[in-house]
Amino acid sequence: MNGEMEILEKVKKAFGEKAETAPKWERQSEIKVPLELLHPLLGYLRAQGFGHLAMISCVDWIEEGEFELVYHLWSYEKRLHLLVKTRIDRENPTVETIIPIFRIAETYERELHEMFGIDFPGNPNLTPLFLEDWDGSPPMRRDFDTRKYVEEKYGMIDLTKELWKREEPVLEGENGED
Amino acid sequence: MGLFRWSQSRSLWMMHFCTGCGAVEMPPTMTSRYDMERFGIIPMATPRQADILLITGYLTVKTLKRVVRSYEQMADPKYVIGFGSCTINGGMYWDSYNTVKQLDLYIPVDLYIAGCMPRPDSIIDAFVKLREMIAKGEANGWKRYRENLEWYRTNQAKVFNVEKWSAIEP
Repeated sequence: MNGEMEILEKVKKAFGEKAETAPKWERQSEIKVPLELLHPLLGYLRAQGFGHLAMISCVDWIEEGEFELVYHLWSYEKRLHLLVKTRIDRENPTVETIIPIFRIAETYERELHEMFGIDFPGNPNLTPLFLEDWDGSPPMRRDFDTRKYVEEKYGMIDLTKELWKREEPVLEGENGED
Repeated sequence: MGLFRWSQSRSLWMMHFCTGCGAVEMPPTMTSRYDMERFGIIPMATPRQADILLITGYLTVKTLKRVVRSYEQMADPKYVIGFGSCTINGGMYWDSYNTVKQLDLYIPVDLYIAGCMPRPDSIIDAFVKLREMIAKGEANGWKRYRENLEWYRTNQAKVFNVEKWSAIEP
């Protein structure tokens, strides 16, 4: 646990009481910061050896009207996994991009933009990644009604009925080509 | 024309459009254990030289666009086999927001293979059945597509979210 406590102490010293730090498991700790401290903290951690941004995930706290962004950092020297968490407003979700700190974040932010509708000013490439021609609201938000969308767009098959009685175009006249 | 159709059914070139997990069932079907070449069916790399389009699994909207394009590049007569539950009713992706549920709304399917996954035995079985259908002149999906193009185009345009979609301009 020594390496963890050491880096958490350093963060406490540098960022004060606003950064809530807590060890979670062996080799994994979390740091919760307000949005304005996110970029300084990520830059600081990168300088401390946390050079690998493994992913950015998002949690939809719909009852509290907030998204929680989780930046997963890994240090190969310290062999530590840090979760940097920050909360943003759900109505107007905007986070300045972290591309200057972690180049790889471009793709992660692109995906979050697509799945949760979070805006990342400064990211040059927020085009759709998987969802071509998407017309609904961002699908990973909890208020997105998946089943309703599927019923409207693709049509569900009622498995209690015979499939072959479904309406579909039928060739008139004889089968075959003779 | 009976001889013509009989010879057609004896020489089929198959393009397998490998989406999803169905692709793993193809190598044993092609290679020595099940050996589909016994039935005159050989895999082909390009749609322009293939007779059968085998859709092995779920299709996202993005993939469906490529499937329609590949299908339209194939020369007549052409046959489509839907492989696995995903192509029939969505399978385990029945409520996914991004996969199409019924393949035959978008391209004409001659034959479905049920199962998740279908074993190579059932694939071979489907090929034999398709051969019979071709010999009898029942596998006429390519004609249905041509005659009901407007219906298929409407369905395609609905999921592609455009006013009018034409994969290849006539």
